[in-house]
Amino acid sequence: MRGLRPLVEKEVKDLLRDPRIYIGLIGPVIMFPIIGFAISMAASQAAEAAMGELTVMVIDEDETETSRRFISLLSNVGLKVIDAGSKSLDEAVKSAEKSGSKALLVIRRGFEESLRQFGRVNIEVYSIMRSMGFESMGVQAAVGNVLGRASDILSSTLISKIAPNVDPEVLRNPLNVTEYTVVKGRVIHAPPGSIFGQIVMGYGVMVPVFLFVIAMSVAQIAATATAVENEEKTLETLLTFPVSRYDILLAKLLGSSVVAVLGGIIFAVGFLLYFQISLGGLGLNLEMGGPLRELPPPPPQSYILLAASMILAILFMTSLGVVLGALSSDVRIAGSLLGVIVIPIMLPSLLIIYASVNSLPLPLQIIVYAVPTSYPMIMAREMIFTPMPMQVLYGIPYSAALTLMVLYATSKILTPEKLLTLQHKIKMRRMKGKAGRELE
Amino acid sequence: MADERIVEIKGLVKQFGGLTALNGVSFSVDEGEIFGLIGPNGAGKTTTLRILATLLLPTSGYVRILGYDVVKEASKIRELISYLAEDAGTYRNLTGYEYLSIVARIYFKSKRDVEEAVEEAARISGLGDRIMDKMKTYSRGMKRRIQVARALMTRPKLAILDEPTAGLDVFHAQHVRDIIKRHVSNGGSVILSSHNMLEVEHLCTRLAFIHRGRIIMEGEPQEVKDLYGVSNLEEAFLEVLKR
Repeated sequence: MRGLRPLVEKEVKDLLRDPRIYIGLIGPVIMFPIIGFAISMAASQAAEAAMGELTVMVIDEDETETSRRFISLLSNVGLKVIDAGSKSLDEAVKSAEKSGSKALLVIRRGFEESLRQFGRVNIEVYSIMRSMGFESMGVQAAVGNVLGRASDILSSTLISKIAPNVDPEVLRNPLNVTEYTVVKGRVIHAPPGSIFGQIVMGYGVMVPVFLFVIAMSVAQIAATATAVENEEKTLETLLTFPVSRYDILLAKLLGSSVVAVLGGIIFAVGFLLYFQISLGGLGLNLEMGGPLRELPPPPPQSYILLAASMILAILFMTSLGVVLGALSSDVRIAGSLLGVIVIPIMLPSLLIIYASVNSLPLPLQIIVYAVPTSYPMIMAREMIFTPMPMQVLYGIPYSAALTLMVLYATSKILTPEKLLTLQHKIKMRRMKGKAGRELE
Repeated sequence: MADERIVEIKGLVKQFGGLTALNGVSFSVDEGEIFGLIGPNGAGKTTTLRILATLLLPTSGYVRILGYDVVKEASKIRELISYLAEDAGTYRNLTGYEYLSIVARIYFKSKRDVEEAVEEAARISGLGDRIMDKMKTYSRGMKRRIQVARALMTRPKLAILDEPTAGLDVFHAQHVRDIIKRHVSNGGSVILSSHNMLEVEHLCTRLAFIHRGRIIMEGEPQEVKDLYGVSNLEEAFLEVLKR
C-alpha cells in the first residue's frame, strides 16, 4: 500500500489538468445556466407578449346584435379587435397576417339563434404562427385564455337568465372535492398525484439522473485515464515500479472516483442553477417537497444505505472503466468500447425510473438486480415508504463482491503480455469491422 | 536468496504465438558492470530487457536477478531494479518535478530520502527551471532526460536501460553516459541496449552481440575487437555475422 497515495495523487492531478476531463467537468456548470437563462429569457418574452396588446381579426358572419355584443365583450376582456368586414376567409387570413393580428376569429351564422335556444355556439379560431418560439406559444395561450373568460361571462349571463338566484359557478362545478393522502399513517393535505409527482421527481428521477451522469462520467474518466497510459506508453514503466497491480488499479479507481464525484457536484450545481433560472423565468413554484414536508423524513440509516449503495455503484462503474481502458490501446478505442458496453449495462437500472422492479417481467427483474447501479435507484425510490428495503440490503454485499471480482480479474490481466494480446485482438476486430463497413 | 551475481540467464526462450523471439539466450552480468546488448532491430534486445524488468514472462529458461527468480519473485525484483523503456512516455499534465517526486515516494519511505532523490534526479536531468513545467511542453530529448533521471534516482541495484540515449543530441547523450558511469561507480550495475556501437564501445565493460534471438558473441569490447582483428565494434559485429 506504500505506493497508493502518490499514485492516487498522480491520477487526480493528471486527470484534473487534462482538458479532455476538465472541460467535461466544467461544461455543465456553464452550459446549464446558459440554457436556463435562454429558456428564462424566452419565457419572459412570451409573458411580456401575452401581457401586451393582443390584436385579433374577426369575421362576423352572424351580424346580429348578440354577435356584435360578443365582439365588444372580447374588447372589454383585453383583445384589440379588427373587423374583417365582408372579406372571405382566405382574404381575411392574408389581411390578419399582414396587420400583425395574432389570430382570426370567425363567428359563424346562427350565433344569436343558438344562444337564444341555449345551444352551443361555434367560434373558429385561426391562430397565426409566426415562429415556433415561446413567444408565439405564449400569445396563443393568452388568446385562448381571453376566449375562455368570454365563454365564462356568456355562460354566467345565460345561467342568470334561467335561474336568477343561483350562483353560476355552483351549477358549473357542483362538486367541491378536497383531496387528502394517507402515507405511513399520516394524513397529508394534498392529492396523491401531487405526492407521487414530488416523490418521483425528488427521489425517483433526480437521484437516478444524478447517478447516471456520475456513473457514466466515472466510467469514462477511468477508461480515459487507463487508455492514456497505454497511448502515452507510461503503463509499461508503471508496471515495473514496486507496487502491486492491485494498488495501481485501486489508485486509478480512487483517482477517477474523486474526480467524478467532483464532476458530479459541479453537475448538480449546474443542474440546480438551470432549474432555478429556467423555472424562475417561467414563473413556476421552485419550492420542492411542499406536501412531502408533512411526511416523516427517512431515518438516517436509509441515507447511509443510499450512500453505501451509491458509492459501490460508482466503484463498480469505475472498475468497468479501468478494464475497458486497459483493453484499449488508445483513448478512441476506449470511447467506442464505453458506448458499446457501459450504456447497455446502465440501461436496465434506468427502467426503475418508470416502473417499480416488481412490476417488470422476471427476466428484466433478474437483469436489474444483476447491475449494482440499480440498488441506489431502488433505494431512492423506496426510502420514503420502506427505510431498509430488503433487496438493497442484499444488493450491497453483492455489489461489493462483484466490484472486487472485476478488480481482481482486471489485476490479473494487468500484465503487458496479456494486455498487448487483448489490445491487439480488439484493434484487429475493430479494423475488420471498419473494413467491412467500408466495403459495404 | 540474493547472491553476488546481478543477472544470470540460461537457455532463455521466449515465444509469441508461433514466433520465437529468443532462442536459448544465456549470459550473465556481474556487480559493477555496464553490460551492453547489441544487435539489429528485431534481434531480441528489448524482449530480453522486458523479461528482466518483469514485464514479460519467459517461455522457458532460467532468469535470475540478484538471485531472485523473475517469475516467482517478481515483486522482490521490482524493488531492486529500474527500467527505462525505449519509448517510455511521460504524464503530459504533470511537471517534471511532480513526476520525480511521485516516483520517489513510491520507492522511499522517509521524507528526507525522497527529497534527496528528487534533488539528485533534478540535477541528473539537467532541465534547470524547466523541471517545474508540465511535461507536455518538453521536447523529446527533455522527456528522455527526465526518464533517465527517474530510472537512476532510485539508486537501483540494476538499471535496465533500453536505448538510453535515443533521441538525445550529442551533448545530452554524453551527459547521460556520464551519469550511467557515475551510477556504476556508486555501486550500481547496468544492462543496456543500443544501436550505437561507438557508445557501447566507450561505455560498456562487457557486451553481447544478439542476432535472431541468439547470443552470437560475448566479451569485453577490446577483447572482441582483438579477436576479429578490427578497429571498432561495428566491424566486429559484421565480421561475426559473416562467419
